[in-house]
Amino acid sequence: MATWLLLIYKMPRDPSAPRVHIWRKLKQLGAVMLQDAVWVLPATAWTREQFQWLAAEIAETPGEALLWEAAVLPPTQESRLIAQFTAAIEGRYQALLTALQQPAANLPLLAVQYQHLQRQDYFHIPLGPQVRAALLAAREGATA
Amino acid sequence: MKWVTWEGVGVDRMACAWLLRRSVDPAAEFLFVPAGHTPLPAGAEPFDIPGTRLAHHGGHCSFHTLLAVYDIADPVLHHIARLVDEADVVQEVALEPAAPGLDLLCRGLRLISPDDATALERGMVLYDALYAACQDTDGVADPAPSGVPPAEQHSPVGGR
Repeated sequence: MATWLLLIYKMPRDPSAPRVHIWRKLKQLGAVMLQDAVWVLPATAWTREQFQWLAAEIAETPGEALLWEAAVLPPTQESRLIAQFTAAIEGRYQALLTALQQPAANLPLLAVQYQHLQRQDYFHIPLGPQVRAALLAAREGATA
Repeated sequence: MKWVTWEGVGVDRMACAWLLRRSVDPAAEFLFVPAGHTPLPAGAEPFDIPGTRLAHHGGHCSFHTLLAVYDIADPVLHHIARLVDEADVVQEVALEPAAPGLDLLCRGLRLISPDDATALERGMVLYDALYAACQDTDGVADPAPSGVPPAEQHSPVGGR
């Protein structure tokens, strides 16, 4: 059973800029939105720290944030949650692979996107190494 | 004076401790408490603890806050602040390629150190090195005063 972090927050509707800023940061972290303003991440030392600072930032904006560390009790529920994380990453890795196959693919851009995705791949899905191998092969092809 | 932070120091806290010693309090003594522990020890100024004055503000790292609070203008230190920012907090747009490496090295330093105090002390060397390297590379952008490339300036006279 995994440990999960839940970030629950409330921010004023106006101005919208701070809310959008926080939302983008949550997307950057690869967090999954369970419900409106309820986000979840698997607990690691790194995600704990990131969520802690985000909660502090929300409190400053001003807003209210609650950070929970939790375990999901029913096992089927947990596998569904994990599947939500892996499906999101898989789709984005797949899009990278498709982009890589285009003639004149923008390799430097795709490499940066891969590095971003890799940080959000908390469950290390098998497609990750495949994308890496495809990027390496494309790099060799580009320099040959 | 005494300064307190959470255990398990990483990139931002190593940077902060280095900066405090360097620019604020040469005799700084560092204390550590477990993450989330309250109350904080009396008579010690907290840093990089969420909700305190010398912590992240406006989405920027604590090192950034220290530069603002102690009114430090050194451009090399502001460059290091951008590095620590990107190393410590997830950013949509990354402009400092060295940032993830810095984060990794700081985490590794903590892993090979017996305790947080030792990790901070070892981090001092790392940040001294980073300062020197940033000063060096940042300086490259400026036109060389004499127009002589540095490599020529350093070449031994009469050698080979």
